[in-house]
Amino acid sequence: MKILIVDDDPLAGELVGALLEDFGHECQLAENGIAALECLGPEAGIELVISDLNMPLVSGLELFQELREQGQEVAFILLTGDDPESLWAQTPGLSGVLRKDGDLEETLPALVASLGGGLISGADEHRPFP
Amino acid sequence: MATPPSEGFQARKARLREAFRAQLPMRLAEARERLATIQPGEAGREGLARLELLLHTLKGSSGSFGLLGTSEAVREVDDMVKTALATPDPVTPDLLMTLQALLDRLAQTDLEPAGGGPGDRLGFEPMPAAPPKPEPGIAAALITLDTDPTANPRGERPILLCDDDGDLAKQLCTQLACFGYQVTAINSLADLPAVVAVDPPATVIMDVMFPEGDDAGPKTLASLVTATGRRIPSIYISSRDDFQARLQAVKAGGSAYCTKPVKTTEIVEFLDALTNRESPLPIHVLVVDDDPELAALHALILEEAGMITVVATNPAQVPHLLKGFNADLVLMDLYMPECSGPELAQVLRQMPGHVSLPIIYVSSETDHERQIKALEVGADGFLVKPVDPRRLIAEVTLRAERMRILHALMVRDGLTGLFNHNAIMQFLELKVANARREQGTFCYAMIDVDHFKRVNDTHGHPAGDQVLMALSRGLRLRLRECDVVGRYGGEEFAVILSGVGEAPAKMVLDQLRRGFAEVIFYAGEETFTCTFSAGIASFPRFPTPEAMLEAADLALYRAKGGGRDRVEIATAVSTDSRSTPEPSAVTTPRGGQFGHGH
Repeated sequence: MKILIVDDDPLAGELVGALLEDFGHECQLAENGIAALECLGPEAGIELVISDLNMPLVSGLELFQELREQGQEVAFILLTGDDPESLWAQTPGLSGVLRKDGDLEETLPALVASLGGGLISGADEHRPFP
Repeated sequence: MATPPSEGFQARKARLREAFRAQLPMRLAEARERLATIQPGEAGREGLARLELLLHTLKGSSGSFGLLGTSEAVREVDDMVKTALATPDPVTPDLLMTLQALLDRLAQTDLEPAGGGPGDRLGFEPMPAAPPKPEPGIAAALITLDTDPTANPRGERPILLCDDDGDLAKQLCTQLACFGYQVTAINSLADLPAVVAVDPPATVIMDVMFPEGDDAGPKTLASLVTATGRRIPSIYISSRDDFQARLQAVKAGGSAYCTKPVKTTEIVEFLDALTNRESPLPIHVLVVDDDPELAALHALILEEAGMITVVATNPAQVPHLLKGFNADLVLMDLYMPECSGPELAQVLRQMPGHVSLPIIYVSSETDHERQIKALEVGADGFLVKPVDPRRLIAEVTLRAERMRILHALMVRDGLTGLFNHNAIMQFLELKVANARREQGTFCYAMIDVDHFKRVNDTHGHPAGDQVLMALSRGLRLRLRECDVVGRYGGEEFAVILSGVGEAPAKMVLDQLRRGFAEVIFYAGEETFTCTFSAGIASFPRFPTPEAMLEAADLALYRAKGGGRDRVEIATAVSTDSRSTPEPSAVTTPRGGQFGHGH
């Protein structure tokens, strides 16, 4: 899957990238929401965005909302240092909210794999594995 | 991503984790700098929000890298900032001080020792899961003494005290808390393995004799070490002073052995040695070269060697950069347009703070005569381009470390390791000048041990030294890194509290005063306690170093006259009456004259 990772901490972003590339995904990094939007043109072919929640300028949540306003239905996973539950409950349309901790190494590939299995709700036109 | 795909995830993770760990001190420094710019009041909220963002990222990333200690510690600070931001209230000085203390503690703690687990370097180390919560039964057996959050306990990992004598354990915990050590006591040997498994302690203070046997303490710890394969630094305390008991303790890997009654200061010495494994501050180098690529190359070489660098490609930036960057050394190009290396060196040498700053030139100059000429203007070394990386690292390390040692010798007091009188006076002058320029505030406080002469006369000079060392350690541990602590002379200490007004300064000193009053000192069979009095003078109420000295002195005098064991704030010079000296005062403070020679 072609994945865009957005994290203002390049090391953290690269870690997520390394993890997913190990599972055979193709990863691209953006260091902020603006850069992410630039990477997300229609021809870019990004199938999934994994974004840090807390970033300067544009937060991960704002990035998600901006994308939806632009009509881009690309699957979107938020990563946060806080408790993911309330955010997950409050934000319909997200593919997942995961906490940045040691478990991420297992939960994230699993979640991405489940998306690859075609479980993205509300994104029918967008099948990750063509 | 520009990483070779052949490298497996674990290897990449290990590499990234190392990189992140190496960045940690810098990132914490950034957070502390950001905090330092926040002013109390409504205007501070914006800065606080910016700080929160930084902390949040740090917390998240350290969580991602499995650095759970860091993640948790940052979370604590972050939560406090978040809570403050959740209310519409203006930023209080107290909050800023508390945050500062927490960040200072974070920066001083080696949260994630290099290498991590044994498999870490090989990249096989599994991500540790979240630490298991202690079983309720175990938690109930713990007596945790909550120290004040604004205190500054070093050593993030817990210190365990294992002694079947609950009262003694509790007393020792209280005592050690006065020195900034948070100690958890357990009263039964049977609980030890479970507690150690939950949270591996930095150090165990272990009794030797238990109901289970005369040397059950060392035996239990030894078997625990064998079982876990993990060395636990340990200090033994015992009423036994025989060879067998000591031998058992050594065989069990004990680092120190104290006989009961335990002298707190002695234990603190050992704890300092065992837990303060903080790596020395990395060497800070300012690299000045008009060729950006060469500057970047030299910076890279030095950073690879674990140093922290800042690059300037324009000599005009240097004085400004030096302000925010506590450089140990400047590495500069000899030939730069407009301002040559020697000219820049001279400019720096003419600035008060940079007279002794080591400077090394880098140049393609091979003419010996001209090298010497360049050195004449006050540089410390000369490297010829292209510079051999090992030579560069060696030259920089040597000079920076030597300067650090020299500096420490010049400005430190022999007994207490605090800044000496001269250094304190210099700091005060600098501080006044800075505060005047930045329209900031700070406090200068004089602290004097009450009835110190009586201590010396009654209990002897070693006991007196014990008191001075305890107070100096207390000051050093509890105050922030940006505060200056010095021994003014005799039993008198001086403290410069950066960026705080009178009220928080008094709060801090009162806290210190209460803590100090609780410390029990030992002199032979006898025990005694000590108190101190303090006088505070604030800038800009007292706008010159001389006025601050005099005012603090007068306030101290007032504290002594008011019955000692108290902190007084100097108001105005005229309201301080010197006409009622207390005749019983054993340690009579000097008069208000300046520049007391020593």
